[in-house]
Amino acid sequence: MRFRSFEGRIVGLFLLMMLVVQLAGFITIRSGIDHNARAAILAELEISERVFKRLLHQNTQRLREGAQLLAADFGFRQAVTSNDRETIVSALANHGARIGAATVVLIDRDRSVKASSSNQTSPALVQSILTLIDQAQDMQSQNVLIDRHPYQLVVVPVKAPLTIGHVAMTFPIDMQIVTDMKALSGLEVSVLTAGRDGKWLSDVSTLAKDEASGVAQQMQSLVASTNSFTTNLETSRGQFTVRALPIVRDADHVALVLLQRSVGEAIAPYRKLQATLLLLTALGIAIAVAGSFITARRITTPLKDLSRIAERFGRGDYTEPVAPRGDDEIGALSRTFETMRTSILRREQEIGRLAYWDTLTNLPNRARFSIQLSEAIRKAALNHHPLHILMMDLDRFKNVNDVLGHTFGDALLRQVAERLKIQIGGEPDQVARLGGDEFAVLLEMPLEQAQLVAARILGSLEEPISLEDQTVDLGAGIGIAGYPEHGVDAESLLSRAEIAMYAAKKTGNEAVVYDPILDQGSQQSLSLLSELRRALERNEFRLYVQPKVGLETGKVIALEVLVRWMHPEKGLVFPDNFIPFAEKTGFIRMLTRWVLEESAVLCHKLAAQGLDMKISANLSTRDLLDQELPTKFADILARHQVQASSFCLEITESAIMDDPVRAQVTLERLHAMGVELSIDDFGTGYSSLAYLKRLPVDELKIDKSFVMNMESDADDAKIVRSTIDLGHNMGLRVVAEGIESEVVWKLLAAMGCDQGQGYFMSRPMPADKLPQWIEQWVAPIITSDLLKISRFANK
Amino acid sequence: MTFAMTRITKPRGIRVLAVFSLLVTTIANTQAGNVSVIVTDAAGQPLADAVVYLEAAGKQPLSLPVRKAIIEQKAYKFAPLVTAVQVGAEVLFPNNDAVRHNVYSFSAAKTFELKLYSGMPGAPVVFDKPGTVVVGCNIHDRMVAYIHVVDTPYFARTDATGMARIENVTAGKFTLKSWHYLLAEKSEPSEQMITLTAADATASARVGVSAPAPR
Repeated sequence: MRFRSFEGRIVGLFLLMMLVVQLAGFITIRSGIDHNARAAILAELEISERVFKRLLHQNTQRLREGAQLLAADFGFRQAVTSNDRETIVSALANHGARIGAATVVLIDRDRSVKASSSNQTSPALVQSILTLIDQAQDMQSQNVLIDRHPYQLVVVPVKAPLTIGHVAMTFPIDMQIVTDMKALSGLEVSVLTAGRDGKWLSDVSTLAKDEASGVAQQMQSLVASTNSFTTNLETSRGQFTVRALPIVRDADHVALVLLQRSVGEAIAPYRKLQATLLLLTALGIAIAVAGSFITARRITTPLKDLSRIAERFGRGDYTEPVAPRGDDEIGALSRTFETMRTSILRREQEIGRLAYWDTLTNLPNRARFSIQLSEAIRKAALNHHPLHILMMDLDRFKNVNDVLGHTFGDALLRQVAERLKIQIGGEPDQVARLGGDEFAVLLEMPLEQAQLVAARILGSLEEPISLEDQTVDLGAGIGIAGYPEHGVDAESLLSRAEIAMYAAKKTGNEAVVYDPILDQGSQQSLSLLSELRRALERNEFRLYVQPKVGLETGKVIALEVLVRWMHPEKGLVFPDNFIPFAEKTGFIRMLTRWVLEESAVLCHKLAAQGLDMKISANLSTRDLLDQELPTKFADILARHQVQASSFCLEITESAIMDDPVRAQVTLERLHAMGVELSIDDFGTGYSSLAYLKRLPVDELKIDKSFVMNMESDADDAKIVRSTIDLGHNMGLRVVAEGIESEVVWKLLAAMGCDQGQGYFMSRPMPADKLPQWIEQWVAPIITSDLLKISRFANK
Repeated sequence: MTFAMTRITKPRGIRVLAVFSLLVTTIANTQAGNVSVIVTDAAGQPLADAVVYLEAAGKQPLSLPVRKAIIEQKAYKFAPLVTAVQVGAEVLFPNNDAVRHNVYSFSAAKTFELKLYSGMPGAPVVFDKPGTVVVGCNIHDRMVAYIHVVDTPYFARTDATGMARIENVTAGKFTLKSWHYLLAEKSEPSEQMITLTAADATASARVGVSAPAPR
């Protein structure tokens, strides 16, 4: 047992106390038993002494009665008086036999033996009889020693009617009497005699001969007194307590009767009791040990449990409640533990909420979403379930925030979050706000369904959001990435979804599934930048052109220059795959310069070939912010002897709106140089007409999204028409992009649109292919009637 | 004239000293006379129930009629305790108790037994030998009577004062014998020689026993 433990100490203490108590009890009872047993032996011996005396007395009585009977017998008396000796002897023998007397003697008045039942009458006996007669008035009895053997002697007178003699009878204190005594009392009985020399000899005994001798041997040191006394003797059968009873003493001899009680036998029943007691003691101790063990267990087991629980808390596991354990101290402790657990759990949840929840929208944040995603991936891997995530970014949110304020922006985000939740339904945890205006959705479903969900989301966002009397039309781009085809961990899935999302935003408000092609920018952004630089050095960029045609005349009026990347390994790379990256990194400025340079070269070359065409080039936000752009452009124009008026620079609304003030400065300087300016992708941004009015622009380019559908969509057609009218009213040239059919051409022409470009005329082509194209270009016939009708209709 | 004589007997180890002294007063009358005897015990105290009797020196028979005697049994006792009779006397043993008695004697002078009876026994017992006869009842050990059978007509029993009077004794030489039952059967009575004239005479005798306490 380990006494170092609480349990061990309790058990040990109990055991010790129990042992002390039991030991004390055992010793007390043991000494009590010993005392009682010895007292009982003494009492028993005293009673037995009385019994023995009574026995002797009864014998005497019997003897006396027998003697009296004989003495009173008329015939006997007649025989005595008639001196009929033969008759007397036979009468003595007869009566002696009747009561078992050893000897019967008739003493006559002359004090001589007149007759005897035995042939030889011991002189000692005669002497004893005479002594007794001399003492006697009537009749007498006495214990006497005859030849060292004790006898009971009775003498009665024979009267006729005067005393004519005495009848004496002896009765031996022999084996018979000690056996009777033993049967009566259960004691061992011995008779010892001692002569003048004081040496005790065993006379008769219920003990075996050698034992009796041993007893006699041990009596040697004892001087027989006239009174009974008690002593202890050791025999081969153990200790005996002995009551010594002097029965006769004469001048020469002493006889003792020893009543012997075996101490061992007397104590034996008590010993049995003691054994039982010992067993009970052992049992008691065992029970005490078991009881204390159980008690200790009942204390320590909950303590150990609580200790384990505390360890579990230490590991940060607070999920399992602490079971209550009754009303005692342990119970109180366990309840305290439970209170502690719930408090900690609550705080943990609060901390978790702060750490993992977006307080604005009450949606999981990016960190939590990553964890959920990891978990979902683990489950999906286990169950082979499909798993997709959507990542959504709102269009133009920055503008909203800037123009309408952050409070409004926050409210808007909450609204978007609500809509997302409604669309997703199910577990709200599936939707998360990653930050800014980015949201993510976790979908454990195949791609087709995920795409449907994305479409639903987009659909829900098409409905304008009304807030504080303002109505905002939101758009969003959604990227979709799936496990395991697009990534095997949360991080890669998120980044792939982001890539897809950016791709979606580029291509308009739709959902884009991740494709490795989309990923080149992000995956190898660093190498991409160096690749772009190298591409510039190695002259891997190609200048493509797309003609701008006068819709009424069908003549090629201008060209929009576009850049393509002839990658040595990947082949032709479209601008969508590197222009956003170039814009992000600032490389766009070098690229723009290259484009402007090449365009100037082209312009010069075409002029030499007699093709006098205006060149349209795109400027990015970064270009607009580049204060040196006008100077550098002027330098290029000068170097290639090209008129500034030969150029038209196209700027998107959003590029201007990033920094309207600086953009305006740049644009005004360019315009002052004589360069024409065009608003690209008109109709998709948030620029106000009031603002546009202030810009020194010459041209509006209607976004191709309106144009491409105007044939089938009456609304789009109206927008196009209105835009054309708007542009014309503001004194601007109107160009339509995305013309893909003759019908659209004709519609636009009828609406009075000045110029158009699109696949119907030509896809972008390498600049050197242009002359060839112009040669084969045949414009559709536009009748004046059509124009008239349309113009009339316009009015 | 004074005589003294000493006998020593040793019955049952008890030494009895009997001293007889006789004071003889000579009387002028040679015809018959009365003899008064006073008997004392060893201590000189008057001894009741002693028997005194005179035996003629020559043993010549006396021709006096033999007197009968009666010893009754009353209240589990024989009465009288001591009776003296002449040889040949008849003694009647009437039973005046409600219970029956069985009167017997194993004495050498006369052995007899009267089987259990009430009232008068069938016949008197004749005591035909001199000596002491101790009579008992076989079923009542305590009952005892003494009959002293003498071979002379001159006998008497002392009264409570120890006095006895033998009447009409003819003059002559006699042996005065004194007997007491405590001498028991076998002891000899004390004797003294006495010569009587016709006149009354007195004598004293001593028996070596101790007077028993009054019964």
